[in-house]
Amino acid sequence: MRFRRVIQVITLGLFLLLLLLAFVSESPAAADIFLRLDPILVMITAVSARIFRPAFIPGLVVLLLAPVAGRIFCGYVCPMGTTLDGGDRIFGPVPRKQFRSETLRMVKYLVLIFLMGAAAGGISFVFAASPLSLVTRFYGLVLYPVLGFLSHRAVELLRPVADYLDIRSLAYAQIDVPKFATQFFVLSFFAAIFAMVRFSPRFWCRYLCPSGAILAIFSQKPIIRRRVSEDCTDCGKCVRKCPMNAIPGDSPGLTRSGECIICQTCKGVCPVSAVSFGIEKGLPRIPEPLITGISLSRRGFIYSGVAGAGTALVSLTGLNAPHDKAGEGQVAPPGLIRPPGARPEADFLSRCVRCGECMAACPTNTIQPLWLTAGFTGIFSPSLISRRGVCDPKCNRCGHICPTDAIRNLSKNERIWAKTGTAMIFRQKCLAWEYQKSCMVCDEVCPFNAIEFKREPGNPFAVPHVIEDKCGGCGYCEHFCPVNNQAAIVVTPMGEIRLAGGSYEKEGRGMGLRLQLKTGGYNLPPVEAGGSAPGFEE
Amino acid sequence: MAKNMNRRTFLKYQVKGGLWLTAAASGLSFPKNILADTGPDIAVAKGSPAAATRAAVEMLGGMKNFVKKGNKVVIKPNMSFDTPPERASNTHPEVVRELAVLCKEAGASRIMILDNPLRQPEVCLDISGIAAACKAIDDRMIQMITDSSLFQETPIPDSASMSKTDIMKDVLRADVLIAAPVAKSHSGAGVSLSMKGMMGLIYNRRVMHTLDLHTAIVDMASVLKADLSVIDATRVLSTGGPGGPGKVLKPDMVIASKDMVAADAYAVSSFEWYGKKYKPEQVRHIREAHERGLGRMDLENLKIKTVSV
Repeated sequence: MRFRRVIQVITLGLFLLLLLLAFVSESPAAADIFLRLDPILVMITAVSARIFRPAFIPGLVVLLLAPVAGRIFCGYVCPMGTTLDGGDRIFGPVPRKQFRSETLRMVKYLVLIFLMGAAAGGISFVFAASPLSLVTRFYGLVLYPVLGFLSHRAVELLRPVADYLDIRSLAYAQIDVPKFATQFFVLSFFAAIFAMVRFSPRFWCRYLCPSGAILAIFSQKPIIRRRVSEDCTDCGKCVRKCPMNAIPGDSPGLTRSGECIICQTCKGVCPVSAVSFGIEKGLPRIPEPLITGISLSRRGFIYSGVAGAGTALVSLTGLNAPHDKAGEGQVAPPGLIRPPGARPEADFLSRCVRCGECMAACPTNTIQPLWLTAGFTGIFSPSLISRRGVCDPKCNRCGHICPTDAIRNLSKNERIWAKTGTAMIFRQKCLAWEYQKSCMVCDEVCPFNAIEFKREPGNPFAVPHVIEDKCGGCGYCEHFCPVNNQAAIVVTPMGEIRLAGGSYEKEGRGMGLRLQLKTGGYNLPPVEAGGSAPGFEE
Repeated sequence: MAKNMNRRTFLKYQVKGGLWLTAAASGLSFPKNILADTGPDIAVAKGSPAAATRAAVEMLGGMKNFVKKGNKVVIKPNMSFDTPPERASNTHPEVVRELAVLCKEAGASRIMILDNPLRQPEVCLDISGIAAACKAIDDRMIQMITDSSLFQETPIPDSASMSKTDIMKDVLRADVLIAAPVAKSHSGAGVSLSMKGMMGLIYNRRVMHTLDLHTAIVDMASVLKADLSVIDATRVLSTGGPGGPGKVLKPDMVIASKDMVAADAYAVSSFEWYGKKYKPEQVRHIREAHERGLGRMDLENLKIKTVSV
């Protein structure tokens, strides 16, 4: 029992540490490993995107471990499980008489089959139920900003002391507080899950978790499992204490191994020490008929599978459903900018598990989760909000960290060519065009040298033009545009390059693009012949 | 300097005035370096970046004329772009370092080199070469400040377009402010020199473009008046400024003055901008600063001294 707590704290600590490294480090190693341990996350992604990646192997290992050691992942490793155990303590107490439902327990299998059905249709809803996707989003998008906010406040409070003692690392510490959209939706979901402790502990793991379901199927009679000796007096204490309701009430000597997470609570509470966990040791045992704990009707099975496939079909026929090829009649959400290196939309959405790692890892906070902008199947998917932050053409952290390669991991040069869109000037909002003011901020900040200022008759100041084939869509111009609220220069998805494979540079050159960073070369702009230098008066 | 520095400035003048009175009354003669006003209005030194910087400041009576023992100094270079020195969009690292050394020699208790960058701070510091150059003196004195809690709202008295702005608290606390810009063209403001460079010490620069940029620069400069301006014209970004890339001239020159308007005016008239010569009054913020009494652009009436080192 205590041993398990130690392991749980260590694994949750490791999970959070890796997440923290993803926030602060440029190329964190294996930051996504926990996500890839989630069997349902890798399985559904493999089916919906029709791919298999070596990166998926950890999830399969967890799955194949089930026939050996049961749902040990749920009891010891899963950060969602540990978080819920913590939540049970905070939001408890667990009622004396737990809510037990054999019917509700089937829901997790229905969820599993629903997800499979949808994935077979090419649509991934794994984000709605994968425990690792959920818990990563919770820590990354809800708690991380709160932590950042509090740290920022703490630094402000300590600053006078730091100034006085001249501790400059603290006096000048500037903590960027990340901000995210949709965090209330994530929070509400977790509030509901935490509240369920009022019915029973680990409500989510018992009744709803599809990873729990697939692991349950694979751990019907694992080699390492709960065994009860003939000393058992049928007192039923273990039945009352089991957090997973894995012990049948009428026969405490038996175990629904598929439900058991090897927490060994029963072993601790047994007054006659009749419970042991491990492999057979030759002691006299109560005979163990297999009790699957799965009483799913054929009808239920078929219905949920069909419901999943049906939902996929409806998604595929929705107005916003992504097409394979851009073309006439295609309705795509205006202004939807995907991160650089994001695959073509359908492929991208079938892979993206909405864990939020890319958003938490983005150093400028420009990657934001969507709610319904990209349709029902695009919930929590990442989008660039240039007003919030720029997309540095030298940065590819999102691609580096993506567990399913929905955003591709690109080399430095390829990254520059991964054009996310093109800037467009709203002349009626522009300070130079409309208000005839001296403003050239878009040109000043553009890393691609894609803004050109030209004279207009009747305007004392030169006005900006976008050189489209030099624009990488990074959003520096939109971000820094001094016009309030919506900027006068806005990045639109026009001209974005989305590739499932192959070279962005080759594609870009084929499109006639001239993407090059200012810092790289010395391509001198032509000196204006005649007239005066910009900003001077005659 | 900012409004809350006025008392300090006032006291400074009182003491100075007192000394003059004493001198006059007693008929004593003073060593030349205390009577700093006999020096040139604009000092120009030609040579390598560090040597020219030192020589230019020496001509104005040396750094001790500006920085007293125990003073807190803020140096404001251009280090806001992730470009190397030869691109001339940042101040030359050796100019920045030499200024810091001079301040240290004069007995400054605290020297801060500050800017509010447009690109990733670490990258700017690295590629500009400024971090490496100043590391040997004190690697904590360079700070890139972007966090709003490190700025303080400051009213601008007698403003013409920008009535208040948020200024770095460090600057408000400082005794001496030194402008150390690189000489460069600026597509919005004509040139970016001592006055325009002060935009790196305020929080909301965006709003200045929504106002009249030139007038707003003068408003800002009226509360961020440098005690000493040292313009790095070892390289001049003649076209394509402020970020470049553009045509880079190499006059190997450093211009120093305690009048930021005069220093800017001299820099404008000394170099070609986009292939043409201009007069200081053709840059409106220089003309307005002159008209509003912030400094002088009438170079013909100023004492200019040039040396080669």
